[in-house]
Amino acid sequence: MISKLKYIPMVLGPLIMTAVVIVLAIFILRAWWTTPFQVFGMGEPPEQPIAFPHTQHVKIDGISCAFCHQNVIRGDAATMPAVEQCLFCHATIQGDTAPPEVAKVVAHFESGTPINWKKIHRLPDHVQFSHEPHVRFLTQTQGLGIEAACATCHGDVRNMVEVEQVRRLKMGDCVDCHRDNIYLTDNKDITDCVTCHY
Amino acid sequence: MQVSRRNFLQLAGLSTLGAVACNFFPEREFIAQSPSEMPEDLVTGIDNWYATLSPTGTESEGLVIRIMEGRAKKVRGNPLYPINQGSHSVRAEASLQALYHPDRISNPMVRTGNRGDGQYRPIDWNQSFDILRSQLQNLSDGTKLLSITNPLTGSLAHIIKTFSEEFGSRHTSFQPLEETVFNSTVKNLFGQDTLPTFDLKNCAFLLSFGSDFLSTWLSPVQFAKGFGEFRQGTNRTRGTFVQVDSRFSMTAANADQWIPLKPGMEGKLALSMAQVIVSEELVPQTTIESMNTGNTFAELQNALAPFAPETIVSELGIPALNHDKPEDVIRKLARDFASHGSKSIALGGGSSAAHTNGLFNLTAIYALNFLVGSVGQKGGIRFNPKAPVETLTHTSASATTTEWIKIKQAIDNGDISLLLIRNANPLHGLLNDIGIGDSLRRDDIYIVAFSTFWDETTEIADLVLPEKQFLEDWGDDVPKIGPGFQLIGMQQPVVKPIEPLNPMAFSDVMLRMANELGIASSFPLNKTTFLEVLKDNAASLHQLGRGSITEPSFDKFWNKYLQQGGWWDEQSTSIDGQPTPPMLIEIVSKHTSPSIIGPKGSNTFNLLPFQSLALTDGTGAHLPWLQSTPDPITSVVWSTWVEINTKVAEEMGLKEGDFVTIEGSNGNSIEARIYHHPAVPPNTVSIPIGQGHTSSIKYSKDRGANPLEIIGLPIVDHIGSLAWASTRIKLTPTGKSSPVPKFEGIVLAEATSEHEAVIKITRG
Amino acid sequence: MAKQHKWGMVVDIDRCIGCQACVIACQSENNVPINEEVDFLSRRAKQWIRIDRFWEGEYPNVKARFIPVFCQHCDNAPCEPVCPTYATYHNDQGLNVQVYNRCVGTRYCANNCPYQVRFFNFFNPSWPESLWNQLNPDVTVRSRGIMEKCTFCVQRIRRAERLIEGQKGEELTDQKIKDGNFMPACVNACPTDTLVFGDLNDETSEVVRKSKSDRSYRLFAELGTEPSVFYLKKVDPAAKSH
Repeated sequence: MISKLKYIPMVLGPLIMTAVVIVLAIFILRAWWTTPFQVFGMGEPPEQPIAFPHTQHVKIDGISCAFCHQNVIRGDAATMPAVEQCLFCHATIQGDTAPPEVAKVVAHFESGTPINWKKIHRLPDHVQFSHEPHVRFLTQTQGLGIEAACATCHGDVRNMVEVEQVRRLKMGDCVDCHRDNIYLTDNKDITDCVTCHY
Repeated sequence: MQVSRRNFLQLAGLSTLGAVACNFFPEREFIAQSPSEMPEDLVTGIDNWYATLSPTGTESEGLVIRIMEGRAKKVRGNPLYPINQGSHSVRAEASLQALYHPDRISNPMVRTGNRGDGQYRPIDWNQSFDILRSQLQNLSDGTKLLSITNPLTGSLAHIIKTFSEEFGSRHTSFQPLEETVFNSTVKNLFGQDTLPTFDLKNCAFLLSFGSDFLSTWLSPVQFAKGFGEFRQGTNRTRGTFVQVDSRFSMTAANADQWIPLKPGMEGKLALSMAQVIVSEELVPQTTIESMNTGNTFAELQNALAPFAPETIVSELGIPALNHDKPEDVIRKLARDFASHGSKSIALGGGSSAAHTNGLFNLTAIYALNFLVGSVGQKGGIRFNPKAPVETLTHTSASATTTEWIKIKQAIDNGDISLLLIRNANPLHGLLNDIGIGDSLRRDDIYIVAFSTFWDETTEIADLVLPEKQFLEDWGDDVPKIGPGFQLIGMQQPVVKPIEPLNPMAFSDVMLRMANELGIASSFPLNKTTFLEVLKDNAASLHQLGRGSITEPSFDKFWNKYLQQGGWWDEQSTSIDGQPTPPMLIEIVSKHTSPSIIGPKGSNTFNLLPFQSLALTDGTGAHLPWLQSTPDPITSVVWSTWVEINTKVAEEMGLKEGDFVTIEGSNGNSIEARIYHHPAVPPNTVSIPIGQGHTSSIKYSKDRGANPLEIIGLPIVDHIGSLAWASTRIKLTPTGKSSPVPKFEGIVLAEATSEHEAVIKITRG
Repeated sequence: MAKQHKWGMVVDIDRCIGCQACVIACQSENNVPINEEVDFLSRRAKQWIRIDRFWEGEYPNVKARFIPVFCQHCDNAPCEPVCPTYATYHNDQGLNVQVYNRCVGTRYCANNCPYQVRFFNFFNPSWPESLWNQLNPDVTVRSRGIMEKCTFCVQRIRRAERLIEGQKGEELTDQKIKDGNFMPACVNACPTDTLVFGDLNDETSEVVRKSKSDRSYRLFAELGTEPSVFYLKKVDPAAKSH
């Protein structure tokens, strides 16, 4: 009995090892070759606490991206607008049918609680990304409008009811663009690793 | 729960990620938050730098703090602030960890268990106001209240002073190693109420007796700033710096020459230098006469004769240095010192003041400045004028050891029944021998503690009130060691306390109490918030119409006041009255040797405790950055060590890391590890102060030992301060041993030391 | 076209007093994990900048010398060719770069560095949750198995380039670096102005002027590493001539 038990680890060990290797291999291959996980908003967007339709605000109302995401032209993060900024308009404008979603925003403002939007575009911690130089390049050097500049990476947000990630935003994606545009910028270091990784 | 495709994929993605990366991302990593409101100057991803200052102890450092999303991220010295001119110390940097320390007190607490059990119940602020007010009202007599605070200056000192006067109570500030000896010397010799500064930037010959002024003494960053210029400033020749010290401190390590001597002999060495200067007439005759009125030159020479280097050298215990005989060392020192005239500074403090003869030592040392004429001169000792506004001139004096003994008796006699302790930890710093611990643990007293953290004293308090950390609080500061002109530093809150912290400013609570007790008739107690007091004082500054801010309207003045981190006027250097030189004969007549107490016999040493660079007197011991800051000389971290001469230790058979029992003059003993130190004089050992905390707070609990527990109660003559350097201890090996945590040896720096390129010393 | 920078530093040893301000300023800026007691005992404490103390002589003629040592950003860095994954390399601005996400933790670079300024993350960094508030969002928190070292606070250089060169189209000068808090954290903190940071390609900068001092030398220059950090010798009137 005891002697037989002794062999169990010898059989189990390699089996477990093989299983671990397979799982790891699947993970690495998947991470390497496929698009990011759905949690990052690719393919199917996450459900947001408030159903904010960009279609209404951008396409119909014609609000510029930088009106709400105002830090995009001067800082690292595009930033979500403060709830009070929604109230600039929604204090009076309730929409045709006073949709319940607007009431939610007002409730957030009145209770002073923040809105926790689900992140859609997410870069790994070891990437330091700043919106400002990208927007500057696209608008000033490339001569794009602010909306087209944003659309370069974020897709056609004006036609999205629910915002989803359209580009993989993996390193290859970044480097392709940096490499293609190096002749158009003053900064010759944009393909340097330490441009983004520090 | 219905598992939709989306849910499933999310879960699958998260779990795979979590499992493989071994790093569970917290929920907030997946959130982009829309704050309810956003101040105009607060933009996500953009940093703002706000000026404020750190009112820690006596040193005042103007700081600018980097704020991102309402969080303090980084400290840098305020480049405009005249004291530290853009630089800062490790202690200022670590204030960030004090701000975000995991063990901050979040709510007011009232004691439920026995005193010292640490059982508390959170209450809200209104309840604590009620308790505090009723405690104050129930006192039969105002004198039954004693407030103990950290050293205060500026508006806060004024508030507490007025409160104490109106209420009829006592107030004292607490510093474990106070500088009363230095303060008295300044008062006696220079006739100044404010402490002077040293113009190191323009000084040519600097002579320091026992003061560790580059690491912890008075205003180290200010002195270090000047010292950098002293060494390699533009348009000047390199200054010479000699340190006379019985301990090889960080400051001694930076000296061109370190002269070790027997502890407590600094004053006699100074007189010996005076003897050389007078007998060799190295300074103008008129200077000597000004310090010898009423006596003849011969009488002066006779009086000084016993201090001739050859006569006194054996008593001083100076070894031969660089093949120079000790008497030649003194002679050369005196000649060098005199030859630089008014650009020579003799300064003393620290261990030279902490002897029973500390007052004599400092008097003799600072008298040397009169001999060379550097008092009040450029490149010499520069005086600080009083603050320009009367309401800002208040400071709180730290009680001396003798005063603490009286306070203890008053508590025991029932003369004090309510204690208000703010930001002071007498149970760790104050000597056991005074027995203050027993007095504070009595049942018939009530203790209210204002503190940001739990510490030994807070843990026995009856009512614990969370205080704002200085980065969250208003304040102003008149630096004790000013820059030589009038300076008011401004402290503004740069961050809000984060949830669940619910602290209040000490000043606001006191103003509220004054109001509720009906003693708020005059300024500053008639204001409801501290900010109003500060604004009132700022308005007085504005009315002066001079200095660094010239704005016609007060609002603009106030904004600039906050923006610059203070107000100063570089032209306002004049002081009240010029000091008259002291009489040398009088100083000679007062000479004494230190009386050193403690065990005698084999394996006994003079003990020189010192404030470690990072922890100082122990106020920073709960901050991991300070704990992990290597001591500049030994590189030891996180513990208490005994610095002992390498050869002596080897003779005693003590290896590094061996635990020894250190028995002091009062019979108490502590244990600490041996550190082999090649530069400790053979008959002394040194132990840093600052560790040995027993309170439950993270990072400092049960770490190392506190040498203040074993030094007994040697008292400085005429002053009553603790003569913490006048003790002897006995070392006994315990047989235990464990490695000393230190940075030395982690990287192979020894390899580079032998290399010629690393240390190549040229003649300067 | 923007000027090509070559960042460098001058360390005046004669000014250094060993006060450790640079050490803690660096830890605060660069999210260096707290060095606990156990890290020191296991010789795994990390200090991107350290102050070496050397003894000279014997009591009573004893001297202690302080030398701040940090990554020398060598033009001919011994750490670079031994990296199998190209995680450390030299960039056009004279920085010796450590790319955390390329690093696989062979530690060859640390073994080949004569200055001993590279540190390996043997553990995942951990802080009590409240101290996370202090972490610098501009700097990656390094996980276990990664080599790290002084970066010359490249996050501040990048910020300076974005704000000064990019947005304003101005040149980065010594003064602008100072005014904008773009100097490395150690340089900011130093109370004696021992450390000077600047552009070695800019002939007017203080680093260039100071690096030409007759006291100037470079650590292990004879190894041919071509460091970007210049040291100015300690002056000691009493020293025996070497």
